Amino acid sequence: MKITRLLRAACAVAIAATGMSAVAQEKTGNKPGFALAPGTARIVLMRPTIWVGEQSTGGMAEPNADWTMQARETIARALADAQAGLGNVVISYDEGSSGEGALVSEYSQLFGAVAESVIEYQFFSGNRLPTKKRKDSFDWGVGGDIARLKSLEGGDYALFINVHDEYGSTGRKILQIVSLFAPGAAVTSGVHKGHAGLVDLKTGELVWLNADQQMGGDVRTAEGAAKRVSQLLEGFPGRPAEAPATAAAATASPTTGE
Amino acid sequence: MKRLLIGLSLGLAVVAPASANSLVTAGPRPHIAESRFSASPTDEWNRLSRKDGKNVEIWTRDGDQLNKVTFFGGIPSGKPLVREIDKKHQPLPKVAADMLITDIPVLLESTYRIQYAVTQMEVDSQEPATLSGHKAIRFTYRFAREDDGVRRRGEAIGAFVDGQLYLVTYEAPALYFFDKDVEKYRKLAATLAL
Repeated sequence: MKITRLLRAACAVAIAATGMSAVAQEKTGNKPGFALAPGTARIVLMRPTIWVGEQSTGGMAEPNADWTMQARETIARALADAQAGLGNVVISYDEGSSGEGALVSEYSQLFGAVAESVIEYQFFSGNRLPTKKRKDSFDWGVGGDIARLKSLEGGDYALFINVHDEYGSTGRKILQIVSLFAPGAAVTSGVHKGHAGLVDLKTGELVWLNADQQMGGDVRTAEGAAKRVSQLLEGFPGRPAEAPATAAAATASPTTGE
Repeated sequence: MKRLLIGLSLGLAVVAPASANSLVTAGPRPHIAESRFSASPTDEWNRLSRKDGKNVEIWTRDGDQLNKVTFFGGIPSGKPLVREIDKKHQPLPKVAADMLITDIPVLLESTYRIQYAVTQMEVDSQEPATLSGHKAIRFTYRFAREDDGVRRRGEAIGAFVDGQLYLVTYEAPALYFFDKDVEKYRKLAATLAL
């Protein structure tokens, strides 16, 4: 019982502290000058890259096939529900007879690496690369060769989504508490990150990215996946402006990023 | 409980921010990786503040996941290429006095497999070369890390000078990024001096 209470207290403080650091870090980036009016583009929703597992006591990520499968289903349903609200023609990726499946998967993985780099070296101002500090600099992409893919013909943009979740094991959570009493040896428990990004299919440039290292929503459940997808698509550039909410509705359901 | 919460808060607050990365401008650059290595880059690079080892320095253009030049400057006998994460359970192979230049690709491969959970790695080619007048080996390789699944290509040149290993590697995703920056790396590597 004591352990449970201790875990709860530690988690509460950890969430509060990580929340504070998240404030100092940007989560969304746009290529300067990029704008996407509702109803002007055809967007290809790429198959999300989803990885779910457990974080061992030592911090190693161990995949969990059942959780990953659950998350694939819940995220797919949540994305299907969210598509209608994106304000543009959104179609799911179809490989057709192109034989490009492996290459397209590689683009999804590359997008993940690009998004991670944007988070680490652009969004986090304390670690920004000097060449990325220049004014209006948001120069990222996956390369112009993406325009050659037959399976993406007819699309204006590709919407890539990555989800990576590691749920801390009991041992990891206990280690997290113990580490808090050893200055300089802070240990985190669990990893919950996600990226959503729009890539211009004519140039390969990343024109919009929403990425967060501390996302909410348990992706193994339908409710959690819906929350995660709504966070991933927060600030989506082609989304129509929301109708003005009444004061009562705004009070009843405030929109928050976390 | 109150004391505990205060203690936990303080514990989390001690996480220090990373120090700044720095700009590498065109022109002479001595003492790379705190060693005899010098170079005269003709392009701009970013030098990461992160250090993977005492004599290891990383330069990049867009982040080390997308393009990464690593200088291993004079790794002495008995030391691993990079700082060991888990010395007891996952010890890294060490540089040895009796190593030949043909052992360098194997040393890199073994290090990557242990340190970075690289599950696939192949050395594609190796050929004799010279590094600042010293007998060296140039080799190319491919690998994928388990954590992001991105297929990467690498190119490297290494030599033993006075019993110490001097090695420079360039690595980038095979898709787009390797070709985008490999010529900039090659121009940089051509100016290496010891």
